[in-house]
Amino acid sequence: MKEKWYQEKTKKKNGPKAERKKLKKHGGPTEEDARKRNPKAFAVQSAVRMAKTFHRSQDMKTKKHHIPLVDRTPLEPPPIVIVVVGPPKVGKSTLIRCLIKNFTRQKLGDICGPVTIVSGKKRRLTFMECNNDINTMIDLAKVADLVLMLIDASFGFEMETFEFLNICQVHGFPRIMGVLTHLDSFKNNKVLRKTKKNLKHRFWTEVYQGAKLFYLSGMVYGEYQLQEVKNLGRFISVMKFRPLVWQTSHPYVLVDRMEDLTDPELVRTDPKCDRTVSLYGYLRGTHLKNKGQVHIPGVGDFQVADVNFLPDPCALPDAQKKRALNEKERLLYAPMAGVGGVVYDKDAVYIDLPASHVNQQQEMRPTTELVQSLIDTHATLDAKMAASKVSLFSGSATLEPEDIEKEGLQEESVWDPNTQRERRKVVFTTEDEEDVSGSSDDEDGDSEDSDQEDQGEDDGEKNLSTFLKEARAKCVETTKTGAGAPPVKRPKLEERKGESAEVPAFADSEDDLEVSEDEEESGGEEEAGRAGDSGHCSEEDEEESDDGEEESEGESGEDDVAADAAMKEKIASEEEEEEEEEEEEEEVEEEEELCCEFSILLFLSAGGLKWKEGLQQKASDAFLRQQQAAPNLRKRVYGSVVEVDDSEDEEQELGGLFRVSRPQNSKKFQANAVDSSRFSPDASHNWELEEMLNSIRDCFVTGKWDESQDAATLLKEDEEMYGDFEDLETGEVHKDHTGENDDDDDDQEESVVKVDDKEAMKNKRLEKKQRLKERFDSEYDDGDATYFDDLKEEMQKQAELNRAEFEDVDDETRVQYEGFRPGMYVRLEIPSLPCEFVTNFDPHYPIILGGLGSSEGNVGYLQMRLKKHRWYHRILKTRDPLILSLGWRRFQTMPLYHIEDHNGRHRLLKYTPQHMHCGASIWGPVTPQGTGFLAVQTVAGVKANFRIAATGVVLDLDKSVTVVKKLKLIGYPEKIFKNTSFIKGMFNTVLEVAKFEGASVRTVSGVRGQIKKALSTPAGAFRATFEDRLLMSDVVFLRSWFPVTIPQLYNPVTSLLLPVGQKDSWAGMRTLGQLKHDLGIRNKPNADSLYKPVVRAQRHFNRLQIPKELQKALPFKSKPKQLQPKGKTPRDLQRPSVIREPHEKKVAALLHALSTVHNYNRKKAHTLQHAKHKQFLQEKGKQEEAKLQRQKEARKKLYRAMGQADQKNQRSSLKGAPKDD
Amino acid sequence: MCLQNNNMASQGLAYDGCNFFRQRLVLSTLSGKRVKISNIRSKDDNPGLRDFEASFIRLLDKVTNGSKIEINQTGTVLFYMPGLLHGGSVEHDCNMQRSVGYYLEALLMLAPFMKTSLKATLRGVTNDHTDPTIDMLKSTALPLMKKFGIDGEGFDLKVVKRGMAPGGGGEVFFSCPVRRTIRPVQLTDPGKIKRIRGVAYSVRVSPQMANRIVDSTRSVLNQFIPDIYIYTDHMKGANSGKSPGFGLTLVAETLNGSFLSAEMSSTPQGQGDPMLPEDLGRNCAKLLLEEVHRGGCVDSSNQSLTLLLMTLGQQDVSKVLLGPLSPYTIEFLRHIKDFFQIMFKIEVQKPSEDKRKGGDKVLMTCVGVGYSNINKTLK
Repeated sequence: MKEKWYQEKTKKKNGPKAERKKLKKHGGPTEEDARKRNPKAFAVQSAVRMAKTFHRSQDMKTKKHHIPLVDRTPLEPPPIVIVVVGPPKVGKSTLIRCLIKNFTRQKLGDICGPVTIVSGKKRRLTFMECNNDINTMIDLAKVADLVLMLIDASFGFEMETFEFLNICQVHGFPRIMGVLTHLDSFKNNKVLRKTKKNLKHRFWTEVYQGAKLFYLSGMVYGEYQLQEVKNLGRFISVMKFRPLVWQTSHPYVLVDRMEDLTDPELVRTDPKCDRTVSLYGYLRGTHLKNKGQVHIPGVGDFQVADVNFLPDPCALPDAQKKRALNEKERLLYAPMAGVGGVVYDKDAVYIDLPASHVNQQQEMRPTTELVQSLIDTHATLDAKMAASKVSLFSGSATLEPEDIEKEGLQEESVWDPNTQRERRKVVFTTEDEEDVSGSSDDEDGDSEDSDQEDQGEDDGEKNLSTFLKEARAKCVETTKTGAGAPPVKRPKLEERKGESAEVPAFADSEDDLEVSEDEEESGGEEEAGRAGDSGHCSEEDEEESDDGEEESEGESGEDDVAADAAMKEKIASEEEEEEEEEEEEEEVEEEEELCCEFSILLFLSAGGLKWKEGLQQKASDAFLRQQQAAPNLRKRVYGSVVEVDDSEDEEQELGGLFRVSRPQNSKKFQANAVDSSRFSPDASHNWELEEMLNSIRDCFVTGKWDESQDAATLLKEDEEMYGDFEDLETGEVHKDHTGENDDDDDDQEESVVKVDDKEAMKNKRLEKKQRLKERFDSEYDDGDATYFDDLKEEMQKQAELNRAEFEDVDDETRVQYEGFRPGMYVRLEIPSLPCEFVTNFDPHYPIILGGLGSSEGNVGYLQMRLKKHRWYHRILKTRDPLILSLGWRRFQTMPLYHIEDHNGRHRLLKYTPQHMHCGASIWGPVTPQGTGFLAVQTVAGVKANFRIAATGVVLDLDKSVTVVKKLKLIGYPEKIFKNTSFIKGMFNTVLEVAKFEGASVRTVSGVRGQIKKALSTPAGAFRATFEDRLLMSDVVFLRSWFPVTIPQLYNPVTSLLLPVGQKDSWAGMRTLGQLKHDLGIRNKPNADSLYKPVVRAQRHFNRLQIPKELQKALPFKSKPKQLQPKGKTPRDLQRPSVIREPHEKKVAALLHALSTVHNYNRKKAHTLQHAKHKQFLQEKGKQEEAKLQRQKEARKKLYRAMGQADQKNQRSSLKGAPKDD
Repeated sequence: MCLQNNNMASQGLAYDGCNFFRQRLVLSTLSGKRVKISNIRSKDDNPGLRDFEASFIRLLDKVTNGSKIEINQTGTVLFYMPGLLHGGSVEHDCNMQRSVGYYLEALLMLAPFMKTSLKATLRGVTNDHTDPTIDMLKSTALPLMKKFGIDGEGFDLKVVKRGMAPGGGGEVFFSCPVRRTIRPVQLTDPGKIKRIRGVAYSVRVSPQMANRIVDSTRSVLNQFIPDIYIYTDHMKGANSGKSPGFGLTLVAETLNGSFLSAEMSSTPQGQGDPMLPEDLGRNCAKLLLEEVHRGGCVDSSNQSLTLLLMTLGQQDVSKVLLGPLSPYTIEFLRHIKDFFQIMFKIEVQKPSEDKRKGGDKVLMTCVGVGYSNINKTLK
């Protein structure tokens, strides 16, 4: 007992043995071990097989690769569009209802329009039901991320299912999940299992092997079973999606709300007037640019008037660490479905309050509140915003919406107790940059305000930021000492408000600049003291000096006050004044633009001389310029695009025809200036000066380098890294000394500088480590990095850059740079929509706004590759109208089918080939190459047959076509000489012949020739030479190719404009066959083409006559036989018949009897003899056999004796010989 | 603007005056938007389009298919409906009023987006005062385009014959492959200048002129860097055009492969005072210093080309550091906004006090429109 305890104690706890044991315990034997233990098992058995397995594994690996794409998904992606498809009565609405209930615990009545819900912490879903209309199916297939394909298992697949699958295949393949319903109708379990299996395998062949198929086994109280729905929901919420090409390259919106903005008065007076409509929805796909073009499938192409982004009505919950969503976060947004008791009908909104639910009040969750507020609008958001007021502080006056509209800057009249008058205060709302400067001058701003105003402003009333003022004041002094610029006449500025409204972000700083120009005039006295050329005075100086003067304009107030965000005083609006001022500002604007343009040019180019100016100025400048430079530039470029001002023309008019002809004023001059990209420098830089030369020294490799790139530092670091090494030959060990040196350096430095270098040292060390690591990585990782990996890494980097670039910019500004990014809830205003869009609005039909690329709004010729669908039962005819779904669009067009000959010629076909691709050329919307399309013949009604007629892809776009058809011109010889003939009837005039001179012609019999020259008479006849003499019966033809024109028909399918209930009955142009059928026209067939009973005449052939001589020479076998029947024997050859006497008769009878007996006896004897002989032969055979046997025996005996004798002889000869001797 | 086809959303733009004529037509061609330019020199004594502009329109017509151009009787109003860029072999006799650079600048912008690769032969004035010369475009614009992925076989610009200002008689061959998409770029660090190269050319004057130019240029530039080599290019006989003249193109190449250039050519024969080659060399060197002072990854004459290629890139962020924006570039930015609704983020970068790296720089950032070449055939 004790011993055992001891053993336990002394069990090895460390050492290699214990380690091995531990390893075994934890990880078990590794592969490495197995290799070591049993090397034979891992040895190469067959090099060929090894190569094969290697190849295969590599193949499998590369097969998995996709072309890497830059990941452009936004941080907060839009809701996933789930389209629920299936034939009618299959349970689509029930499934949506169940899923919504599963996610949000809310019940929805009628599902119409998209329903958006928050399903998880990071996922939102938009459900959309797809009805049985092929238009809807096509539209929704283009926007779907996930398709729930409902299949009635009790019935099996229906045509719609396959149609939808094919539509999906063409327009990029979204995720597809099958859902089998009506499984409870099967009573027999075996049948059920078999059906499931069959359906599953058919589904797999259509989608892909192993595609997910869900089974909803049965209904409980009109809903699917809870657990099954839950499972489906789980599947949906973890699903991943591969980006589809069309969707990721185009912005699109699945509209979930529509408002008519048209003036009701206009509608009253003209009910058919074009409507202005605002459409709402989540932006998906890619960035949407403002004022872009959109296509609304089923309506047409439109120009977007305005886009705004709105607060997300169905926002994702804030990031919190928790597992599930709470009840408040399970939002539901479906304005078209009338969530919150609001039901949409045509153009009215009804609020539905069931009597039993009145007291319940929907428990006023924030969800419903928001939705309600969004829904209960007749007015647009803008209008509502206009009506609403906001107060920032309790008890303070409210802010008018105009303030916000003016994007940040707004004047408000304020009662100033000091001066006893009303003052216009600028209210500033946004802008970070301004806040920076604003915060500093908040305190003393108020005190200084009053002083400055008193000094001498008459009309301008505003707050001034003292900081700016002071800075400017300084500048005035400095510039005064220098040479002053000649005062420039500038227009007087009263008020500028629109300017700031144009570009909100940098409005303030830009205005500073502009103010400067305006005020030069007002502060005339000060300017007089200034002189000098502007070339040597940087733009800031000018500006600041100006600003130092009294700011008498309202505008300067705007911007300055922009800085101080103090809004504690009472605010009251003063709108009338503003309106007046607005008029003036427009005129002034463009002239100002010019001035500012000029001055900035100076600023940009004169930067080089800045160091010359006083340092005192620099200090104050630095801050200001930091604030201003960038915005100024931006404003200068974009804020004020010079617009044509019509008012100017009016001014110049001197009544009637005459105009004042002025020498080109500056603006006009600019409009017609020399168009050159050269940027000629201004003469300000004197490159003779040493200072100037020094200013660019570091641009050259000979100049000073950055600390991080300097060769000396790099060398030192290299030494640190690779400093120690051992010379293997000599065995000498080189030690690194740089470390010590470093220390020395540090000591020296420490004496000079302070201890805060520690931080720097730390950074330096970190940097060095980083570099070391990079170098290590590059040496050891890049070895096996493939091209694919590099590409992926590059994409990754780009994606990161894309994300990071505009991350910290506020949305308002970001939208201007990037466009509206996907995931935003946007409102698009579209003018001039047809009134039917509004009057016939049906929320069951999806409204999609598909953004178009820059040139996708044009039409041209498209060349496509097309194949008739194998399930479509007819071939397609050239020039028959066909409805195509291409890009976002559905349109009718008239394709020409053609095929490419081996010489590259596109030959027209009358019909599409049965089972082959062919080319198709259409006149249609310009769409990028590689876009898939599908074609249907009609979109109206439901047909039993498969409706998709053809599918294909766009190959080429052009403004001209190259399709030709064969044309054979026929002529007849008129006169024939040797090899030359005159041909007539091919052409009508000499001119026509002249065009074809030298063309080759041919006769039907194959004689080739050439057209030489036209004859004078008859008109159109010509001389031609042939390789042989023609006959008058020959037909001469000329084969030529005739270019075909494509009918320019582009007719968008406007199915959404049809009245409610008839939206699936759009009928466009009819095919020729349909037209004839409808009009009862029957073609008179060509009489020659009709089938008649064939009458064949009996044919007679003459006998073959062989000459007598020949007959004689023939052998008997080949001689013609006497084939004719025997004729009557001639009389002389006929023999007379013999008649016997009775006696003779008796004799003959007796003889006959006797001979019969004789014959019988003879026969009998013969048989007897025969038998006897047979027996004899038998016996003889037996005897013979016995004899042979005997002889055989005897012979045997004899040979034996002979053999023995022989043997004896031999033995005796061997034995006895020596004895005998 | 008139909406031409009833069903389409594509709208047109309207402008006034003939300034920035090329920008408007080029952007219109690339974006597919119609353009109407009115009041072209309407108040001028000689109203309407000039010959060189008409020649430019003719060139545009040659490289496109299906363009519709309408000009009113006085030539003061131009309506342009762009077709599709076709490319192929094009020969064009450029008008003598402007140099080939005027036409070539537009072709550089259009060439990567053609249906078939462009092989253009342009005849006319190769070097003059107003426009960037061929040598400059060859040494700066081509390497710049290579950074955007426009590269490979058949990307070439050759001066076959040199023709100086009034007489012309030069010939230039330009070929460019076709691209489907343009790569986004990040050109934020120009790097330090490692070498300066140049071409001093002279035609129909003494070959000694070029050598004199070289000497005077080196005298200025040697203060900065020793690695200077200026080729002398003296063309004779049929290759020398019709007018005498000489000039210099200087290119500074940085470590990161960006090129800054400056150029100067002699005053055209019979116009103004003749110029001494020494003066020309010195002034040109100073122009190069000016260009270096402006700095950036792209020189001032190629700013607009860079910005265009950034705009037409994929939907990714592109960045480029430029020197001060030229007025031409500023207008180009506005036009890009009109045609493509793309706005650039413009940030001014101040050089720090201790660094002697010239003036302010501007960092331009944009997200591409995701342009893909719709002209290229899919096979």
